[in-house]
Amino acid sequence: MGDKSFLKISGIKKSFGSGDNRTEVLRGIDFEVAKGEFCVLLGPSGSGKSTLLNIIGGIDSPDSGYISINGEKTGDMDEKTLTRYRRKHLGYVFQMYNLIPNLNVKENVEVGAYLSDNPLDVDDLLKTLGLYEHRHKLPNQLSGGQQQRTSIGRAIVKNPDILLCDEPTGALDYNTSKEILKLIENVNQKYGNTIIMVTHNDAIKNMADRTVKLRDGMIRHNIVNANKIPASELDW
Amino acid sequence: MKNPLWRRIPKELRDDLGKYIVIFLFMVITTGLVSGFMVAGESMKKTYDNTFDKYNVEDGHFDLSNKATDDMKAAIEDEGVELHDMSYYELPMSRKDSDAENDTAYGVRTLRIFAPRNDVNKICLMEGELPSEDNEIAIDRMYAVNNNIDIGDDIIVGDKLYSVCGFVALSDYSTMFQNNNDTMFDATIFGIAVVTNMEFDSLPEKNKTWSYAWMYHDGMPESEKGEKKQADKLLETVYAQAVMNDMTVETYIPRYQNQAINFAGDDIGSDTNMMKWFEYIVIVILAFIFAVTISNTLTKEASVIGTLRASGYTRGELLIHYISLPVIVTLAASLVGNVLGYSVFKNMGAELYYESYSLTKYVTYWNADAFVLTTVIPIIIMIVVNLLVVNSKLKLSPLRFLRHDLSRSRRKKAVKLPHWKFMTRFKTRVILQNIPGYVVMLLGIYFAQILLMFGLMLNPMLKHYQNDILDNMIAEHQYVLDSPVETSDKRAETYCVKTLRTTGDIDDEIMVYGIHTDSKYFPVKLRTGDVLVSDSYADKFELTDGDVLNLKESYADDKYDFKVTGSVSYPASLAVFMTEEDFRNTFDLDNDYFTGYFSDEKLTDIEDHIVSEITKDDMIKVSRQLTKSMGNMFYIVVVFSLIMFMLLVYLLTKLIVEKNTVSISMVKILGYDTKEIGRLYLSSTTIMVAVVTLIDILLSYLSIKVIYREMLIDMLSGWIPIYMAPWIYPLMFVLSFACYLVISLIQMKRIREIPMDEALKNVE
Repeated sequence: MGDKSFLKISGIKKSFGSGDNRTEVLRGIDFEVAKGEFCVLLGPSGSGKSTLLNIIGGIDSPDSGYISINGEKTGDMDEKTLTRYRRKHLGYVFQMYNLIPNLNVKENVEVGAYLSDNPLDVDDLLKTLGLYEHRHKLPNQLSGGQQQRTSIGRAIVKNPDILLCDEPTGALDYNTSKEILKLIENVNQKYGNTIIMVTHNDAIKNMADRTVKLRDGMIRHNIVNANKIPASELDW
Repeated sequence: MKNPLWRRIPKELRDDLGKYIVIFLFMVITTGLVSGFMVAGESMKKTYDNTFDKYNVEDGHFDLSNKATDDMKAAIEDEGVELHDMSYYELPMSRKDSDAENDTAYGVRTLRIFAPRNDVNKICLMEGELPSEDNEIAIDRMYAVNNNIDIGDDIIVGDKLYSVCGFVALSDYSTMFQNNNDTMFDATIFGIAVVTNMEFDSLPEKNKTWSYAWMYHDGMPESEKGEKKQADKLLETVYAQAVMNDMTVETYIPRYQNQAINFAGDDIGSDTNMMKWFEYIVIVILAFIFAVTISNTLTKEASVIGTLRASGYTRGELLIHYISLPVIVTLAASLVGNVLGYSVFKNMGAELYYESYSLTKYVTYWNADAFVLTTVIPIIIMIVVNLLVVNSKLKLSPLRFLRHDLSRSRRKKAVKLPHWKFMTRFKTRVILQNIPGYVVMLLGIYFAQILLMFGLMLNPMLKHYQNDILDNMIAEHQYVLDSPVETSDKRAETYCVKTLRTTGDIDDEIMVYGIHTDSKYFPVKLRTGDVLVSDSYADKFELTDGDVLNLKESYADDKYDFKVTGSVSYPASLAVFMTEEDFRNTFDLDNDYFTGYFSDEKLTDIEDHIVSEITKDDMIKVSRQLTKSMGNMFYIVVVFSLIMFMLLVYLLTKLIVEKNTVSISMVKILGYDTKEIGRLYLSSTTIMVAVVTLIDILLSYLSIKVIYREMLIDMLSGWIPIYMAPWIYPLMFVLSFACYLVISLIQMKRIREIPMDEALKNVE
């Protein structure tokens, strides 16, 4: 594992609404993630984990606190710099696949590759993702798992420093979910990207290097997993 | 690496081919028409301007009662001119096979016959050949068309049979004015012809007019004022020589006064302003359609956009991506439209001019204005409108795209409705929920209604204008005399008139009348000091009482100021009315001076002194010319605007149905049948279309008033006050609503096809 303070989350607070309707979603979050670490943000619905992921990804901003990635604070960046930062260093995977419907699998992955000066080889990646045979298909010709694999391909083809995954298995059945988790694990091992994954599935913590458990906007546990198990052995 | 999003463009095009084809065709036709007519106008104008050099058009001519002697010619040429014999014969013409009983123009058709001209006022051969045999004749092209004469036909001129060997255009007869004082021309009954020199010399001398064209040695003076000065000087010599040689000068027409030469030049190209407005409105509508559809696409693709933005795609990249297709379609349509404009539509435009004037063969000139108007401006409009719409949406954060939260203002609480019946409340909710869609509809229909109103209003307006003129004619006959002579008819009344010009930005001709204080013809009793302007003058120049008119002489430095004291209903021309006495004082004329007579009866005892008579026909020439040149265009505009209306309503109602797809699917699951769903969703839209159409009819009327003025103020010499026939409003509503009903049937089908599982799908 690399530098422990590669990703530093410090004093993050975030609330929505105003007056009586004001809800504090994050009440001061502090933790650090090392380069290449697989970190799971775990918590029930409404615990603030997706909001935290969005703040890490720079598509939402905290009320206070800061995020520092490799020494650079995202809060200091203007919108243009932030976009450039996301472009060069971050990859996003959502629960819904959000693929472009009239581009085929390969083209959807190329949409990600375009953003990088040094992208991975698209065909190689498609083989890794098990999508090479399907590369000419449109999203609506694919199963949910294949669509999610495509969206992961789109995110990692630019070889991002950090891969942010928001409930990537939330819309998938058990077997397909495991397939996707194996893929993410494989990507983490093969390309060494730091992975932050939001999930409410408690079992997933077992495959992570670190688990940060949130409840009511606060960290309840921040555990380094000394005995992580392969995704294929997960069960829930 | 090329942006992979570009690969979506052909796919988008293919997926929505129908829509793009319709928009493309609209643009191609609009661009083609505008570019074609502008190119034709400009080419005609340049060709016309070039005829002066190319065909060596005269600097003026005069007609004498006898053949000029060599001494006389030499004396005139000493004034710095070169004379050319342009004498002609005027003979009646009939077709060999014409049926005198059924031909209303039999016996009144005339041909003015010239010998071949090699130096001055040269001939342009339009078709066939120039005469080489004595029994051959080449006639004016337009005269031939109007009288249905083909090359090879036989015609009788005077009492001799000729074979028509060719069609020509004479550079000094682009407009067929038989006499320069005529207020109108008729190229059916008067035309020109050319025969061989031998044949020319054999024609009967009694029909001959001795005409001589002059060319200045030092070239034509640059200003009209200079031209007038030089022509006046020459006139003195011509007149003196004529008197010395016991002749009279029948006519003396310097080029700047020659209607046969100048009339067409003043008219050509003046109607392109209308085309420009047509282009602007159509392009704005199409840009609006694109903007609405792109906006809809952005809503549909919100999650994709959110993901792309979150992944690092810049706003600029997405902006370019989403507006590129409209711009590509516009560019392609502009190019195809211009190709058609320069090939097909140009000829249609040119045909309009050839139907009115005897113009020489035209050469096509590249028209930079037309290119800018039909290519650069549409693309700019398209980019600007779409940039505004797309950019305002793309400013939202990636997160809001991911959450499908694209509305700018969010209703916090539901509007409380009275205790209506459930269906009424439901429909009201649908209306409230779709208000942004209806606002867009209001704007879209507004553009289409402007076009529709424009197409519908012009023909009735011109008819109304003609009737208005005839109702407000001062007298049945209005004579202009060569000198103030008395008539024995006591019913006639003298008047004075003089033509002045405006001095401001808009150049126009103003008729200044001096009228009897106790006139039985003029509708208002004039008192000393009164200066009344015609209502058309007041309307065009937005005059009110107390305004000061600054007018000037056309060819002299004299200027006159008049303070307006009122207006009078006289739509026929831009005119100023004052008492005869005030008129004489203003223009420093004798106390017994007058120009002519108003009379409801024909005056028979002064016929020799009548220079011209202003008839009903002359009064309505502006509107008749417009009806002739643009009349059919108006119908095209109506059809065009209705198709545009349907396209708009189709797209906008489609958006509303699409927006409600999940709800519609849900009520289907609940057990509502298609009819009930139609009542819930479409009847709300129907009510709103009716309301929006009514509002837009009003708005388009207000806009048309402004556009009309802008469009016609430079185009029309004189003025046609805007008039909207009352039946236009209900007709617009009925036509629009009928179009909507057709569209609603299509939308009903769309509603029927919404599957029930739509509501059960995972909503992002």
